[in-house]
Amino acid sequence: MNLTLLRAHVAAILRDLMRTPSFLIPTVLFPTMFFLIFAMTYAHTGSGAANFLVCSYVGFAMIGVTLFQFGVGVAVERGRPWERYLRALPVSVATRFAARVVVALIFGMASAGLVALTARLLTPVSLDAAQWGMLALFAVIGAIPFVLIGLAIAYWVAPRGALPVTNVLYLLGLFVGGFWMPPQFLPSIAAAISPFTPTRQYGELLWSVAQPHDAFHAGVVLALYAIAFAAIAIVGYRRDERTRYA
Amino acid sequence: MSLIEAHALEKRYGTVRAVYDVTFRVEPGEIVALLGRNGAGKTTTIELLLGLRAPDAGSASIRGHAPTTRNARVHVGAMPQHTGFPDGLRVSELLALAAAHYPTPVAAKEILATFDLTELADKRVGELSGGQQRRVALALAFVGNPSVVMLDEPSTGLDVEARRALWEQIRHAADETRCVLFTTHYLEEAEALATRIIVIDGGELRFDGAPRAFRERFGACRLEYIGAPLVHLVPEGATSRTPDGRTVVTTDDTDAYVRALVASATPFSNLRITQSSFEEVFLDLVGGNRS
Repeated sequence: MNLTLLRAHVAAILRDLMRTPSFLIPTVLFPTMFFLIFAMTYAHTGSGAANFLVCSYVGFAMIGVTLFQFGVGVAVERGRPWERYLRALPVSVATRFAARVVVALIFGMASAGLVALTARLLTPVSLDAAQWGMLALFAVIGAIPFVLIGLAIAYWVAPRGALPVTNVLYLLGLFVGGFWMPPQFLPSIAAAISPFTPTRQYGELLWSVAQPHDAFHAGVVLALYAIAFAAIAIVGYRRDERTRYA
Repeated sequence: MSLIEAHALEKRYGTVRAVYDVTFRVEPGEIVALLGRNGAGKTTTIELLLGLRAPDAGSASIRGHAPTTRNARVHVGAMPQHTGFPDGLRVSELLALAAAHYPTPVAAKEILATFDLTELADKRVGELSGGQQRRVALALAFVGNPSVVMLDEPSTGLDVEARRALWEQIRHAADETRCVLFTTHYLEEAEALATRIIVIDGGELRFDGAPRAFRERFGACRLEYIGAPLVHLVPEGATSRTPDGRTVVTTDDTDAYVRALVASATPFSNLRITQSSFEEVFLDLVGGNRS
């Protein structure tokens, strides 16, 4: 992979998105804003609650960035004439995809980092350095299925439909996954569905940092989700290639 | 080795034959107009040459390399018909992104000056007018200092003044080391810019040669006068009468017709001889009136 080109594409995507407030504000600020509005009271009940909530909102941030970057971002761009120009340049698809992954990581870390910083400053959160490190690692690795869910949306949903579809899946996924209220407080139907959702498994992985428990099962299910959505995304990608470029 | 080579290119979309048996080569120093009506197969031909589509039959190459390969693409600068730039990027940033892909790009200052973009360098592309965006797109095609430049309808949507300014910039940027292949349905554009014209109609190549040869081969002189026609002198269909009593004759040999007209003692007046316009020649060719 050509690192000069990777850097050039990362810089271009970053600049473009940084100057798009409709992307920047919801992506980077909303998780922290929601944390301040909805989580602060409960977080002040004790460090256990604060630890649980910071893990949840870090996940909230990562899911948002990955789903919207890859779901909406790729869906919109695959239909734009600019995409045809980029394809005619001497750069591989892998380099351009890697640039998008790097940008998602940067925005994800910024968004999740802001949540963590806010929690550190304003709540009795008590994670040690190793736990913060583990949280960052799980947040990134566990977000891979959401990158692939985003890509599956991008290649199977029309560009115009990508935003509403992603929004619905995002909000429902967060709710059912127990990110807005702990899973044990979910309504019965949501509680029944919850264990089968990737958001719940992602939550289990992240919460294992705050409330140590075996996260192996969550990791396996997330890996299976990643494989399934990778397959769906690849089939969609090939279908799109045949339609536009065959 | 030719810079561009298309050999028996063929492309279908379902049952529609977009390009059929198109063969041509483009050499350094040439500015070639790919001329045709909407839907003639121009954009498909460019897309095949850019490696954006795969041919159903035949082959294309850029400096001997398949168009989809990096070896070909480092020599190609392209201007798509529609741009849709990322709105948040500044003109200079967009040019820098494109330049990063080529081994010996043109210096930023130079490319901005060539395409009259110096004043706009720090503006976001989303804030530019349509004409300014076309100039940026043109600069993107040349910024890599490529030996092959392909422009898909470069002046579409521009007013006359902006179009002429764009032609001037293309002329200035083209030189002996590179070739420029552009599609257009503006005959005036092809005549003003091209050193060679390739006419495509219904996906097939109908003419390939110099603009003058195009006119000489398919064009004819037109003779108009008030009076009766000498129908025995020209092929059937070469004469017509206008409602105001004028005779219009299309012929390759106006001198012979005038001599015969005088010799026949047919009364005539207001005799006028004109050359077929480029547009008339084109319409005759793609309309199938001449072979």
